[in-house]
Amino acid sequence: MQVAAELKTILDDVLSLRGRAQGFGDDTPLLGDIPELDSMAVVSLITAIEERFGVGIADDEIDGSVFASFGSLRAFVEQLLAR
Amino acid sequence: MTPPRPAAARAFFLPAGTPGDADAARTLFALHDVPPAGVTVRGALLYLPPFTEEMNKSRRMAALQARAAAAAGWHVLRIDLTGTGDSSGDFADARWAAWREDIDVARAWLAQASGHEPWLWGLRLGALLAAQAAAERPAPGLLLWQPATSGRNALQPFLRLKAGAAWIGTGAAAGGDAPPKAAEPSPLQQLQAGQTVEIAGYTLAPALALPMAEAVFTPPPAPTRVIAFEVSPREGATLSPALERALAPLGDRARAAVLPGPSFWQAQEIETAPALIDATLAALAEAAA
Repeated sequence: MQVAAELKTILDDVLSLRGRAQGFGDDTPLLGDIPELDSMAVVSLITAIEERFGVGIADDEIDGSVFASFGSLRAFVEQLLAR
Repeated sequence: MTPPRPAAARAFFLPAGTPGDADAARTLFALHDVPPAGVTVRGALLYLPPFTEEMNKSRRMAALQARAAAAAGWHVLRIDLTGTGDSSGDFADARWAAWREDIDVARAWLAQASGHEPWLWGLRLGALLAAQAAAERPAPGLLLWQPATSGRNALQPFLRLKAGAAWIGTGAAAGGDAPPKAAEPSPLQQLQAGQTVEIAGYTLAPALALPMAEAVFTPPPAPTRVIAFEVSPREGATLSPALERALAPLGDRARAAVLPGPSFWQAQEIETAPALIDATLAALAEAAA
């Protein structure tokens, strides 16, 4: 399963981006740049990542840097899958 | 000749309290969609909404479905559970046991008003409540939209909102420092200690959260039929393993499918899933045949 492709689908769905996430690259900023990314959206995002990738994420494993960019989010998920 | 259009839903307040109880005067906001004159009445549907923000985000889908079902001959009653929406009481007054009573009251009212024992239709946590109600007192059928198969799975994301606020720097930890660890008990621990918890503007009481956390999908007894739908934005999506497991004991009595569409109960903007409405109408038509 391609992590980046899956993440784009999740972002489009949770943030109602209407396909805009398909154009994201590693340096596309997320937090601070996408107003839709509020606390509710970020929890939906993490829950969707857990369900889709079959991983469990402890609340204290996450901080704002995870959501800084599409690249940081992708790296975070890949690191989870590698454990 | 164009088919008759149903009138707008009738809004009213349904008394729900038990005389002698502390909240004897409580009422439920209800919307009744009535089949238009000239359309054969096929049955009745009682709609149970999802939890907190999911209810707000999915109101449009529920309204669209209710209207479409009424046009097809189904009486539909949508209720706001005690302490939610326009029903009496604050969210802090919401109790799982009160919600179960609300469902009993609404079922009885709708059976009387429509002349049909209602199907129970629920979305997410509403679907779990529907299943529990049908297990306790038989319904002709269950219509489950994206059912939560456990209350814990519906509650966890909500409890997590506090952590979520900290992740994006708008919670108590805003200011760039790492969130405090260990020192503060988790929201669930606080609830288990008997304290109410403030999350995202909602005051959540133990009398709601704790029974909710224990609730699991209960298969209804025969001959209740079960129709379950999940919605996915992915092509070729398959039914979630959790739902497959929950429906397995029902054998032929259950039918389930995944439909294409957005996660409208949690999407950032108000979204609709027309495929879900079409599939639901088709399933109801078959059930009534």
